[in-house]
Amino acid sequence: MSVAVRERFGGLTRAEQGAVGFVVLLAALLFLGLLTGGLAPTYFLYLVGLVGMYVLLSFGLNVQWGYTGLINFSVAAFFGLGAYGTALLTAGNSPLGVEGSRLLGIIPLTIIGLLVAIVLAVVVAVAIGIPTLRLRADYLAIASLGLAEVVRLVFLNQRDWTNGSAGLRGIPGFFDGWPVLETFPEAMPGLRVEALELSIPGVFSTEILGFTLGTPFWQALLNVAFVLVLVGIVFAVLRRAHRSPWGRVMRTIRSDEDLAEALGKDTYAFKMQAFVLGSVIMALAGVFYAHLNLFVSPGDLEPINTFYVWIAVILGGSGSNRGAMFGGFVVIAIREGTRFLGELLPGALPTAGIPFTDLVVSFPTVIETTYTTVVNNFASTRLLAVGLLIVLVMRFRPQGMLPPQRELIWPRSVAESAGPGETNPRETIEEEATATAHAADASAGVGDDGQTAGDATDAEPAGDDSTPDASGPDDGTADGSEDAPDEGGGRNE
Amino acid sequence: MSVLEFLANGLVFSSIIVLSSIGLSLVYSIADFANFAHGDTMTVGAYAALVTFGFVGALGGEVLGLPLGFFVALAVGVGVAAVVAVVTHKLVYEPLDVDSIGLLITSIGVAFVYRAVIQLGFGTGFIEFEITLLRPIEALLPYGIRMTLHDVAIVVSAAVLVAGLHTLLQYTDLGRKMRATADNPSLARVSGIRTGRIELWTWIIGAGLAGAGGVFLGLYNNISPRMGFNILLVVFAAVILGGIGSVYGAMAGGFLIGMINQLTPLLPRLGQELPLIPESFGIPIGIEYANAIAFLIMVAVLLLRPSGIAGEEAT
Repeated sequence: MSVAVRERFGGLTRAEQGAVGFVVLLAALLFLGLLTGGLAPTYFLYLVGLVGMYVLLSFGLNVQWGYTGLINFSVAAFFGLGAYGTALLTAGNSPLGVEGSRLLGIIPLTIIGLLVAIVLAVVVAVAIGIPTLRLRADYLAIASLGLAEVVRLVFLNQRDWTNGSAGLRGIPGFFDGWPVLETFPEAMPGLRVEALELSIPGVFSTEILGFTLGTPFWQALLNVAFVLVLVGIVFAVLRRAHRSPWGRVMRTIRSDEDLAEALGKDTYAFKMQAFVLGSVIMALAGVFYAHLNLFVSPGDLEPINTFYVWIAVILGGSGSNRGAMFGGFVVIAIREGTRFLGELLPGALPTAGIPFTDLVVSFPTVIETTYTTVVNNFASTRLLAVGLLIVLVMRFRPQGMLPPQRELIWPRSVAESAGPGETNPRETIEEEATATAHAADASAGVGDDGQTAGDATDAEPAGDDSTPDASGPDDGTADGSEDAPDEGGGRNE
Repeated sequence: MSVLEFLANGLVFSSIIVLSSIGLSLVYSIADFANFAHGDTMTVGAYAALVTFGFVGALGGEVLGLPLGFFVALAVGVGVAAVVAVVTHKLVYEPLDVDSIGLLITSIGVAFVYRAVIQLGFGTGFIEFEITLLRPIEALLPYGIRMTLHDVAIVVSAAVLVAGLHTLLQYTDLGRKMRATADNPSLARVSGIRTGRIELWTWIIGAGLAGAGGVFLGLYNNISPRMGFNILLVVFAAVILGGIGSVYGAMAGGFLIGMINQLTPLLPRLGQELPLIPESFGIPIGIEYANAIAFLIMVAVLLLRPSGIAGEEAT
């Protein structure tokens, strides 16, 4: 490990170290699986794609809950709208499908599908938002869960449009009908990675590697590239938006809506913007999912999927985008880890014989039968893990693992205000360039971020308005609001 | 099916919804958060009763077509639901240092834990009480009502429980303290009421009623790990329609929502059933959207009259 890396790692908070350690460990495990052949490369890329999908969903929820404080329990509905939006147009057995892979022979159908999904998400988000966004926070939670259920019931029961519970099959890959990219997976040569035999003579020998990278592999690689592009674009947009005056108004609404009203903000309009933006991001994740999985069904709209995303966001740290990324990894770890464990456990408890005697130790029948039932229903441990994680996070770390700290501040402002003793200019991971210089003296005084944040944002350059609301009268909001939301990052101060 | 039969079904279903919505409303007003684990508390009660019934099902005697063992199982289901809720309150909710939204999110985690544990033990399939199905009551058939003694048992039991709760709230010391705490916790504390203890009693009563609702739901349909979560939104609709924090509002809301839910099949042929409306009139909606109607009513109530039927004054 190079010195620079070690220094950076030392400059992180304990929680950040834990998060980095977790991601590294998970990556190492996956890589090990890849090496030993336990995990096919194509499936590995599929998992990476799923991580990207959850990251996208978490970004979407972060805009709503993390930035603005809207409790949206209809994540799965918007995800499903995105998936169905594109699938209805492109799927082989879709009642509303369009023949061929291009519209008018020019535009790839999947692009149209993407646009349809976005439009659908916007329309439904506005339709749900109009009645619910004026409600109290806990009413919004109940109402959004109910409306999500309505959306699911519609997809389940309108068979003549959606094919009902049978779902939609035969969805093409996203790049079907595109120039060049359509034939990319076929055009790439098949690679054969020869098996390597590892052995310590007399002790053990094992074969590692040894797989062929064919068309499915390149297809999967293309999917991963697609989701990375989506994540990258969304991340850039959100980071810009979150630091802009628009983002400041959002944070003000989250911490004190009456204050925002008093400062002349139309909070309803702002909340609607955040709701629609978040919903569109969720729909994008749905579009990706449809073209990754090539099959969608109403089961994808189950409420449990909503709460996977909630786990990702509250565990990562509400309002924090890197927290959302971390959360995406954790969700996949839960999903795949429980599956893996379930396959690993033997169906019945083994009875062990004690060596050199004829005694056989066996467990009491109660334990044995209990064990067997539990193993047979092992899929439910996923639900258990999600539930326990929610409870534990709320109990011990309600602000999440990586609450937003430096994320809300312009890097330049941090650098300018970097005086001795008054600040620690540790940067978020993605802001390497400006941060490395100061990383060393970061370990002290991590807790006093609130004060620093306020100072630094005041020093923000004036010409950075990305939204029309940035002009003069907004200064009041900027100053007034900064202290509250930044104090600890958590909602529950 | 005749209109009377739909009304009869609605009465049975309403009884179940009323039982569950009272509990949810009590907890909402005294513990001060929307408890998303309430539905799964019902499931816990149902499974506890199911297991007990396996042991005591043969107990003799018969009341309203149900063996005495069933009522023992019902009592155990109520008890287990209450104990589970109290333990959860002590272990999870009480040590939490978060606002009511944080509690709401936590309660979802609690709901998942309940359901996951049940699924680990019983699988995800449907189970039924091993009670022989009865034939509809002969005396009611001429009126076009097909109702079994079991249905009557559900309605009667629910009525007894509701009457008991009414007595408790209006005529006992505990009831007065509960109403005072729901109305204004700080004032209640200053007046010397141990609000912590009242909160505990709220959990016991609320979860106990939910457990009873779960057992009856299991008797009415069948038992599955999803039963509670599936009905939770309908119960929320009832509570919001009745007015959050009002027990009597929750009863009225539960009754209305349960009725509407079961009367959904009538909507497409409204014109034929009601006088003064053209024959062809009807709202074209299938029974698969019965729950959706409840949700839409809920949203409409939230928009138009957030205080619900019972209005501002709590309990």
